[in-house]
Amino acid sequence: MKYWKAALAAAVFASTTVTAVAETVLRLDEVAVGELDPAKASDYADSILMFNVYDTLILPAQGGPGHTGHLAESWSSEGNSFTFKLRDDVTFQSGNPLTADDVVFSLDRMKALGSGLSYLFGVVESAEKVDDLTVTFNLESPYAPFVASLVRLPIVDKKLVMENLGEGDGDMKDWGTAFMSANSAGTGAYSVKSHNPQEETVMVKNADYFLSVADAAPDTVRLRYGLEAATVRALISKGEHDIASQWLPPEVVSALAKDGAQLFTEAGTGAFYFKMNTTKAPLDDANCRLALAHAFDYSTAIKMIAISDDISAGSAATGAIPVGMYGSNPADQILAQDMDKAKEYLAACKYDPSEMDIEVSWIAEVPLEERFALLMQSNFTALGIKSHINKMPWALFAEQVAKAENTPHISQLFVNAVTGDPDTLLYGMYHSSTPGTWQSPEHLNDSVVDEMLDAGRSAASPEDRAAAYSKLNARLMEIAATIYGFDRQSVFAASNRVKAPALTDASKAFGLDGLGFSFRLMEMTE
Amino acid sequence: MSAVVQLLLRRLGISLIVLVGVSMLVFGIARIIPGDPARIALGPNATVEQIAKLRSSMHLDESIVVQYGHFIKDLSRGDLGMSLYTNRPVTLDIAEFLPATLELVIVAGLLMIGIGLPLGRWSARYRGRLADHVIRLVSLLGVSAPSFVWAVILMLLFAFFLPLFPIAGRISDTYTIERVTGFLLVDTLWAGNFQAFSNALWHIVLPAFALALSGIGQAARLTRANMIETYDKPYIEMAQAYGFSGRRIANRFAFKPSLIPSLTIIGLDFAAMLGNAFLVEAVFAWPGLSRYGVAVILRKDLNAIIGTVLIISATFLLVNLIVDLLIAFLNPRIRHSQRQTS
Repeated sequence: MKYWKAALAAAVFASTTVTAVAETVLRLDEVAVGELDPAKASDYADSILMFNVYDTLILPAQGGPGHTGHLAESWSSEGNSFTFKLRDDVTFQSGNPLTADDVVFSLDRMKALGSGLSYLFGVVESAEKVDDLTVTFNLESPYAPFVASLVRLPIVDKKLVMENLGEGDGDMKDWGTAFMSANSAGTGAYSVKSHNPQEETVMVKNADYFLSVADAAPDTVRLRYGLEAATVRALISKGEHDIASQWLPPEVVSALAKDGAQLFTEAGTGAFYFKMNTTKAPLDDANCRLALAHAFDYSTAIKMIAISDDISAGSAATGAIPVGMYGSNPADQILAQDMDKAKEYLAACKYDPSEMDIEVSWIAEVPLEERFALLMQSNFTALGIKSHINKMPWALFAEQVAKAENTPHISQLFVNAVTGDPDTLLYGMYHSSTPGTWQSPEHLNDSVVDEMLDAGRSAASPEDRAAAYSKLNARLMEIAATIYGFDRQSVFAASNRVKAPALTDASKAFGLDGLGFSFRLMEMTE
Repeated sequence: MSAVVQLLLRRLGISLIVLVGVSMLVFGIARIIPGDPARIALGPNATVEQIAKLRSSMHLDESIVVQYGHFIKDLSRGDLGMSLYTNRPVTLDIAEFLPATLELVIVAGLLMIGIGLPLGRWSARYRGRLADHVIRLVSLLGVSAPSFVWAVILMLLFAFFLPLFPIAGRISDTYTIERVTGFLLVDTLWAGNFQAFSNALWHIVLPAFALALSGIGQAARLTRANMIETYDKPYIEMAQAYGFSGRRIANRFAFKPSLIPSLTIIGLDFAAMLGNAFLVEAVFAWPGLSRYGVAVILRKDLNAIIGTVLIISATFLLVNLIVDLLIAFLNPRIRHSQRQTS
């Protein structure tokens, strides 16, 4: 027994001594898996990896609309061509200098692989090297959101990738996918030390980064994947974890906050929607849709996602476009329940309310949606409309929405703008040329909306774009294809060992999912 | 040819047929589950063209018989295809994740044998006394609660409230161990790093216990029941009449014959743990094959589903084969019956 106790004490002692090291380590988690190849990146974990291991030509401006140069010093546009002048002081982690060839290669690779967010560059006809530090993108047609799309074009080290091509057909073989899924080939502030897509990615600070990085920025970052809520709570409480993912149940985040954890937030990129199938009776009548939209209890919805007295997983919606994006309404014009108006619209609806039976679906993997389904059922009952709730696994939902006749009356979805631009949020949802996808269970076919979406794409100046999207916002509210539940705000519980200005200070926020997790901008306090 | 070799060959033949059957069954079922694997893999933002391209590259636009033909052709080259979940070859994923699960399951299996069997033997020997009642109660508790409940309870008790063990992971962050076998307990010893070995051992205690508790209870209860039955046999009465000590009777005459059914159950439990470990792996952030298996099923990652199921099935068959051989070794009647059949 004595030996057992001694061994246990030695083990505990060993564990406490090994953690006492000088370097600072940031530990955070995300859902599995972490995709390291930036051309395949699409999820949140992938974005965190991408924004730290790779750099892009431009970045969203902090605390406001617009973009600033990053790898690019400056840019100009002429017709459908955009020319970027690169910085001359950037080297990849391999030591190779950044050139225009790398930019051209990065675009070609992304388009050739056709994965992740490559669809954003479908409009790009070609990228051409002008000189070593100048590159021009030629577009097939006017596309104003192109500059914003470049935040999703990480620049990869052509020379390194070409030295590591795997098996495959043609000259480019596998385009280096096998290599890129396990190694870094970027200019980023952090390089990859080890990567296990189901366990964790370990990143270390890049001493040769082209921008200055604060000494207090973490020396090592351990991005863990797929931790259970109970495990994360125990780890943070014991000081063995620093930032939890946004996917923790609100109750756990709330409990952690009560235990002294700080809360980081990221907002302005998306919203939570109740999408109505505009092809299916009785929701093919706009008056009926407007009745439901006015009957919805928006304030209770916000209370349902509250984490603490002053922080919530969302803020009140003001319209079809989240606050902060082009065309959004002012933050104080929040949507509210109005039963009198709801009854007026219902009276104007061509269908008999007593014969209605609305199917409200919720995604089985998101239990929160069941609560919203019950709230809607209660609101609709108050209006005299019968409804039934249908739980659907995501895989089945994604398949069913391909056809309008199989799509439920109401579908609940979180949708984000992957570039922070309203085009990537709204075009896929509402343009009639878009086939039925998970983003468009409305199956909307409205020529006015189509025109406005196209106007937003082709508008020349930011002011023109804002005006186009403002009109679109008004039109979408008028036809009520969607009930705009709330503007989404991601909340992350964090230990007090870390400071993340981009996630706590609105004037330093990027307005792009995952970019707030730029570790070079974080500071470790212990 | 000896009876044991014949038994071995026959079992191997049956195992091969079972594996082919499993592959066909899983191949069919994986394609019936609702949801388009290409659409799920490419994520919500994928275009119709991207989805069509991936479907074509995976042969999903061909008949199921042709698809199975492609699968067998690739399998014969040791290629299980690409995982849509990790974007890596399935063989690479299995090679990376299997050792973590095997290590956990082997330690849990050793705990089942090392604790379950002695507890059962002790309980039977002291039937009706306090020790028997306590062991039966503990065994019942172990059997009645699923392993993930034990995982959370053990983690809260012995890692959170009493910080005797780590909360999660296979080894502390500060150790960098070169991967040789993937079994950290082996690799740390291989590297001659005994501090890292003790650290890895320290990390595996709670997950292995959580996984083994049900099996420990089952092994103890089964061993006790079989031994009690054996105690009623005339030869035990004769041994008692000869004046052999209670310990000798228990060890030599009652325990050994009672071991056969317990071994069979432990063998089945051991193999079943490979598939059932996912919740324990999730709670303790253990990067194993079981967790991977569940993740790929949820994402309808066809290649990875089939690869994982085939590996778990093969391990199941292998463990059963070993148990059969052990039983044949322990029980001469089985060897003799095999000889008479041949």
